[in-house]
Amino acid sequence: MTDFMNYLVLGLTRGSMYALIALGYTLVYGVLQLINFAHSEVFMSGAFGSYLVIGMFVHDGQHLAWWQVSLVMILGLLSGALVGAGVAWALERVAYRPLRQRGAPKLAFLISAIGMSFFLSQLAGKLFNRLSQNQFPSYFDQNKAVLHILGAAVSRIQLIVIVTALLMMFSLDRLVSGTKLGRSIRGVAEDAPTAALMGIDIDKTISRTFIIGGALGGAAGFLFGTTFVFSNIMGFIPGVKAFAAAVLGGIGNIRGAMIGGLLLGVVENIVPTAPWDGSGGWIGLQWTDVVAFVVLILVLVFRPTGILGERLGRAA
Amino acid sequence: MSASIQRRPGERLRDNPLVGRALGCLALSFVLALMIGKQEGTQQDFGLAFREAILGPRIVWFLLIGVLVFLLLTFGPRVQPYVHRPGIRPLAIGGLTVVVAFSLLKWTDSTVVSDGKFSTLSEAASKTGQLAPLARTFFTPPLPWVLFVVAFAVAAAAIVLRKAALSWVGVALSVLVGLWAWYSHSLVVSLLGTPDHSTGALVALLGFLAIAAACAATALSAEESANTRGFVNRIFAWRPGMPLVAVALVLGVMAFAIATWFSPSNQNATLVDTASLFSSTGLAPLAKAYLSWLGYLLFVLSLALAAFAAYRRDPRLAWGAAVLGLVSLVLNLVALYSISALGAKSAFDGANGPWDNLGTGGWLASAAFLLLAGAGYVVATAGRERGTIARTQSDVLAGIGKIPGMSKALILLVVAGALFYPPMATPFWQKVLVSEIGIYVLLAIGLNVVVGWAGLLDLGFIAFYAIGSYTTAYFVGALPIQPPEWMRLSPLLCIPIAIVVCLIAGVSLGYPTLRLRGDYLAIVTLGFGEIIRIVAVNNPGNFTNGPKGAFGIPTPAIHLGPIHIDWGQSSLQYWYLLLVITGLVILAFNRLEQSRLGRAWAAIREDEIAAQATGVNTRNVKLLAFAIGASTSGVAGVFFASQIGYINPDNFVLNNSILVVAYVVFGGMGSLPGAMAGAAVLTWLPEFLKDQVPAEDRQMWIGAVILLMMIFRPAGLVPARRRTAELHGFDDASSAETSAVPAGEGMGGTK
Repeated sequence: MTDFMNYLVLGLTRGSMYALIALGYTLVYGVLQLINFAHSEVFMSGAFGSYLVIGMFVHDGQHLAWWQVSLVMILGLLSGALVGAGVAWALERVAYRPLRQRGAPKLAFLISAIGMSFFLSQLAGKLFNRLSQNQFPSYFDQNKAVLHILGAAVSRIQLIVIVTALLMMFSLDRLVSGTKLGRSIRGVAEDAPTAALMGIDIDKTISRTFIIGGALGGAAGFLFGTTFVFSNIMGFIPGVKAFAAAVLGGIGNIRGAMIGGLLLGVVENIVPTAPWDGSGGWIGLQWTDVVAFVVLILVLVFRPTGILGERLGRAA
Repeated sequence: MSASIQRRPGERLRDNPLVGRALGCLALSFVLALMIGKQEGTQQDFGLAFREAILGPRIVWFLLIGVLVFLLLTFGPRVQPYVHRPGIRPLAIGGLTVVVAFSLLKWTDSTVVSDGKFSTLSEAASKTGQLAPLARTFFTPPLPWVLFVVAFAVAAAAIVLRKAALSWVGVALSVLVGLWAWYSHSLVVSLLGTPDHSTGALVALLGFLAIAAACAATALSAEESANTRGFVNRIFAWRPGMPLVAVALVLGVMAFAIATWFSPSNQNATLVDTASLFSSTGLAPLAKAYLSWLGYLLFVLSLALAAFAAYRRDPRLAWGAAVLGLVSLVLNLVALYSISALGAKSAFDGANGPWDNLGTGGWLASAAFLLLAGAGYVVATAGRERGTIARTQSDVLAGIGKIPGMSKALILLVVAGALFYPPMATPFWQKVLVSEIGIYVLLAIGLNVVVGWAGLLDLGFIAFYAIGSYTTAYFVGALPIQPPEWMRLSPLLCIPIAIVVCLIAGVSLGYPTLRLRGDYLAIVTLGFGEIIRIVAVNNPGNFTNGPKGAFGIPTPAIHLGPIHIDWGQSSLQYWYLLLVITGLVILAFNRLEQSRLGRAWAAIREDEIAAQATGVNTRNVKLLAFAIGASTSGVAGVFFASQIGYINPDNFVLNNSILVVAYVVFGGMGSLPGAMAGAAVLTWLPEFLKDQVPAEDRQMWIGAVILLMMIFRPAGLVPARRRTAELHGFDDASSAETSAVPAGEGMGGTK
């Protein structure tokens, strides 16, 4: 049981990061019906941006008081979100808007995003020495357990990640359902030409959608970098997983992305380690990714539009 | 949205398009500053390259470039009426070509000159006493650039001012400089004494000739509205054989006059020298005759015949030219074989045997003969009709509007290049041609069926390639689990088995998942690709040998009665094997697009529900596309495994799948030549960039190239004809506002 709970907490931690990234995919898919393949690089740039900012304030090995730690955390989240939003905005301007204005075929968007993804990740590698194991400075004891649930020790950083991610997801949900911006996003998602007739500036709305998704992705980059290590190619695997999570929940559906992300994180940690007796499991951790993709394929075979389905969608 | 430059009252500053353009240009130059330059630091100086890129004085230079671009973009259109003259375009192309030749290309392969580029070579050559003074003068550092700038400026002045006398000066000047460069380079080559494969001098010569042609066009064109394109069209357009004859003329003159025919160690013998080298040996009389007089005669005769036939558009003469060209090609190859085989026996130093030690001359001559024969064929089959202009969409689909025979001429050029370029290339490029370009072209052809024709986004295509490779490894006995003795096969016999296995894999992946719509299918195929790779890594049942992979896969061999062919280590042999495989695949796929099946694919690609309503069995048709693509990939896998000899899971990562999709779309989705061109360009580019930028940065530049291509030419390098007509017709694209976002289902909020 203890093992099970430990893996559950681990899965929730990873899953909440997947969910934050998946929201970026799903938001963009909602307004454009396009997969933003460069979103994983938005995530990566969030980690680098917040590292540069935090590095100015704290040093490795420092011990800060709890309020200082929370200040640094907020600073990291904000800077990560800011950099992520900036990169996502530039991405939309460079790789999406010119193609939209030319009426390019759908796959051209995918390829321009892939080109952008190669470009950004390698540019970051060039500028930051292509190291694969960068670490944030450690300014508090991240792994100290703060909470025990049914025998599982929840460490500080895990708690921070899960709580922040949930908070951000909740505020995004409010933003989309309750504000004027959210309404215009939903309008564009449902029927762009009609939304344009209703006085919504489509270009601006799309741009802002990218910015929101980028901010979430950038913040996730900070959380990921703080919990694990970061590098210029860190975006690839979480990006693929988050994309899978978005599809799992029903792409274009915000709550679907949250559920899909959490579910994927939990499943890929729990299933390979069953029966949780510390022996490595029947399946084994080396099959983690296979389990994740098999679950995805099975769900899609039986529910072709994901768990929650595409909201406001016609039957596919 | 307003595109006007003038600022209207009440408009905010940030809405002014000029401000946006200025900021964009500055941002561009800033990114450029980050992209260019040395890099790589250690853990201690994290972000060193970043700080160096933006803190040093060099950032100012880059920002100045941005300002320059801004000024060009803003004031460029106002100058346009003045520069809109016949000849400006070829002038620009020629100038750019020369700059590329002077700055990027190799001018020698010799290891004496470190990177072989023009600047290093001229630095070294200008100080070498053994070099003839004329060449030494040319290489004195600022002089070549000065000469280029002067020639270019004279040409530009002549074209802009439209002065005939000045134009002829420009022609003379650029031809002289071009020939001088070429001559100096050939002196350097003969001084260095090693076989030369460099392209720099040739490209520079071509660039100068283009500048000269631009000047000549100015001098000859009577009216201001005449343009070079029209001029070229008048000569070539309704004589489709003519361009081929022109290319063959250039190639043939190079081959018979200046190129190397035989190069045992440290000598470069032109045709004349080769003839004297072999004069006292027991060379077969035919080859001897070919070397001394027959070759020249054949070239002149077939050139004259083909040119005359192409000019008169006379089918009977054209057939004669075709036959004569082919006969000459065969004779040429016989002569090449004789001299290379005898060269080894007569113990010329470093001569290795048949088909070795041949310089570029023989192959250039072969290409010229093939093109002349092809010119005859094109003229004979094109008939006497003239080109027409397409006016409606159905015209395009019916093939109206292309010049008859022009596409055949292009295909012939590509075939001639594919057949006779590789023997001239360096061993390095031969290897690249086989193991990068050739294989990925084959993969792109396969994926084009799935993505381009049927419109199914497959992000796990490499999985089938992996399956093909591992199937081969199993049946040749290179894996820990051995097949029974009677089932052991030679690699070539694995091809049908790999096709069957990949068909089964394709169908069993496709059957449950093909009812998913586009993006869902993408993630499922991506997952499938990753699953296959991880299975290969994790080695269940000790079948795949884990991360170590399979090694010792034998090379392909054919032993059929009297025929014994064994593909050893030489890349060149594999190239021709690959050419045969690819040729067969292309022949099979070529008819597919216009067939019933191809039209069914187009229908489901454009609108699946409508296709279903008109009676297309969408599931079976999609499955067929999937299976055909998969089996092509499997064939490529067999070839890869047996050529390289060892495989491991790292060859089949997700990135490669994504790259193949990028190749297909980059080339032009749904167009077979496009997919091939896309794969060829994007696999060639990293190898080319190796000499230009730090090796680790190559992927960054490729990403930038892909991005720019999609921004400025979203339909790809060679857009598909059917697609262009279907999607856009000849009307302007409908307003950007409505085509911006496809209407339809999307993201939902909570209401």
